[in-house]
Amino acid sequence: MRDEILHEPEQALHIEDLTVTYGALPALWDIDLDIPPGVMCAIVGPNGSGKTTLLKAALGLVRPVAGHVRFLGRPVSGMRGRIGYVPQRHSVDWDFPTTVRDVVTMGLYRRIGWFRRPGADARNRTIEALREVGMQDYADRQISQLSGGQQQRVFIARALVQDAPVLILDEPMAGVDATTESVIIALLKRLRDEGRTVIVVHHDLTTVQAYFDWMVMLNVRIIAQGPVADVYNAENLRAAYGRQLAMISGADLGTAP
Amino acid sequence: MTALSEVLQGGIVQNVLLGAAMLGAISGMLGAFAVLRRQSLLGDTLSHAALPGVCLGFLVAGGRDLGSVLIGAFVTGTLAALSVMLITRRTTLKTDAALGIVLSVSFAIGIVLVTVIQGQAGSGNLGLMTFIFGQAAAILRADLWIIGGVGLAALALVLIFWKEFKIVSFDAEFARAQGLPVAAIEAGLTVMVALAIVVGLQLVGVVLMVALLIAPAAAARQWTASLGAMVTLSALIGAASGAAGALISATTRGLATGPVVVLVATGVVLVSLLVAPGRGLVWQVLSSRRARARISDGRVLATLKGLATTHRDADYPAERGMLQAALGARPPGPRLTGLERRGLIRRVAHPPETTAHWELTEAGHAEADALSGKPEGRGQEDAS
Repeated sequence: MRDEILHEPEQALHIEDLTVTYGALPALWDIDLDIPPGVMCAIVGPNGSGKTTLLKAALGLVRPVAGHVRFLGRPVSGMRGRIGYVPQRHSVDWDFPTTVRDVVTMGLYRRIGWFRRPGADARNRTIEALREVGMQDYADRQISQLSGGQQQRVFIARALVQDAPVLILDEPMAGVDATTESVIIALLKRLRDEGRTVIVVHHDLTTVQAYFDWMVMLNVRIIAQGPVADVYNAENLRAAYGRQLAMISGADLGTAP
Repeated sequence: MTALSEVLQGGIVQNVLLGAAMLGAISGMLGAFAVLRRQSLLGDTLSHAALPGVCLGFLVAGGRDLGSVLIGAFVTGTLAALSVMLITRRTTLKTDAALGIVLSVSFAIGIVLVTVIQGQAGSGNLGLMTFIFGQAAAILRADLWIIGGVGLAALALVLIFWKEFKIVSFDAEFARAQGLPVAAIEAGLTVMVALAIVVGLQLVGVVLMVALLIAPAAAARQWTASLGAMVTLSALIGAASGAAGALISATTRGLATGPVVVLVATGVVLVSLLVAPGRGLVWQVLSSRRARARISDGRVLATLKGLATTHRDADYPAERGMLQAALGARPPGPRLTGLERRGLIRRVAHPPETTAHWELTEAGHAEADALSGKPEGRGQEDAS
């Protein structure tokens, strides 16, 4: 790594004063956020609260009008190729003519560099990443033949192959069945236990306590952040969800008064 | 091909065949990327927008000079692509509306210019009409060098930037998150498609050019499972369609090449959609018939039994569609009537639904119990 002045290197993700606007309306307003390394963090909030925008701004896919983002002290451009991004499964055409192996290798394209083909090293890393998500037997399968849960695991393998210390997932549990969800969660927990930071946009409040140890509640601005045990309470949920809370009152509010 | 052109005895036919094949190959190769990136309609807009450029090329050069015609077409095509981009970014119009507006406005300007040029005295307008519907016979030997040069350049770029083109076509957002210059790569791909259109104009013409981009790619996708094979096959299908269309139109008086090429290419698409293994309609019909043949009486009974048990209702009436979902294929009618005749199941009404429902009879329950231990319908989707 090149020499540079690190800013807040002890945080896996550090965001300060981040503001993103779509037209005149702020999509994210004055976000100050710190996620320590080695946690599994849920980002929750009602529809339109800016969860996906927050991920995209962190990854440099959306240009903020103010503020800065650091991963382990570095700007995202200094981390390129090593932040594992798992986009929503439905964002791509799964009828694309290619194999599981090929999709995972795409995670290495940046590292391989221009004008060069993936070599033996890339092949080994690809198989290793597939093994990590339990999909090594599917390496030569057409991606159009995969089930939803398998697609999700291929996407996670594509992020893992980058040897990423930070994984960012956008609604990985959307549209998968309960069995698959538990498989994905077990996988993400294992990756966290290996020391990676796992950041997940999550839509199901009822499972936050079971799955995550850190959480960020978002509604255009930060409502609360910290360990799930401290943050998950009725007051914060009401602040984030307002009237929508009635619809999710089935959620176990834990230690709430 | 050599033997064929000897039969046809002529340098002109040779030029036409070679030119048409090369043009088809270029369009097929780049069209594969356009189709996978869902940019087929941008191709249509670009080709229509090339017409005013062709006219300007005629005006500037004072006649049919391929170099200036191509430059003109490329310039107006690029302007059209930029206009579409500006309209979608700066206004509330969606992409399809922006494409439609730019297409029709450019084509209107082009037609006005065609009429103006044709109104002028002199022979400057000779050959202008060939750019609207295409005329392979108008391809000159000198043109082959330009076509070949463009083709080689496109091939080189595709080989050099293969993995970048692949990742941008599959998942541009992920590529951006990796830090790849996606905007530049996408612009490069669009420019190459514009080039393919521009050189293909004289073969197929501005109106039907888009078919030469889409058809070979759509046909190739049916037969292949990897991007490399798809691009290669698409280029081959493009080359074959171009050559066949050019040959037919060049040997028949007054037949515009574009429509013939498009009909040949569409024929290939039709055949591919029908018979390609795995994806073709015929193949799918056959495989679903095989699946239906595998549905035994026992599996139908076991499924009905399973539903009755789950619902704690020995007379649970199941629709045929429900059996289909459980068995993975539609149970054949004769199989159901056969079971009914044996007294194992009976057809019942289940208002308010008007479709036929089936339930197990006493004998059916006994038979299903006797068969138990057999697999019961399709297993759950693998999730481990």
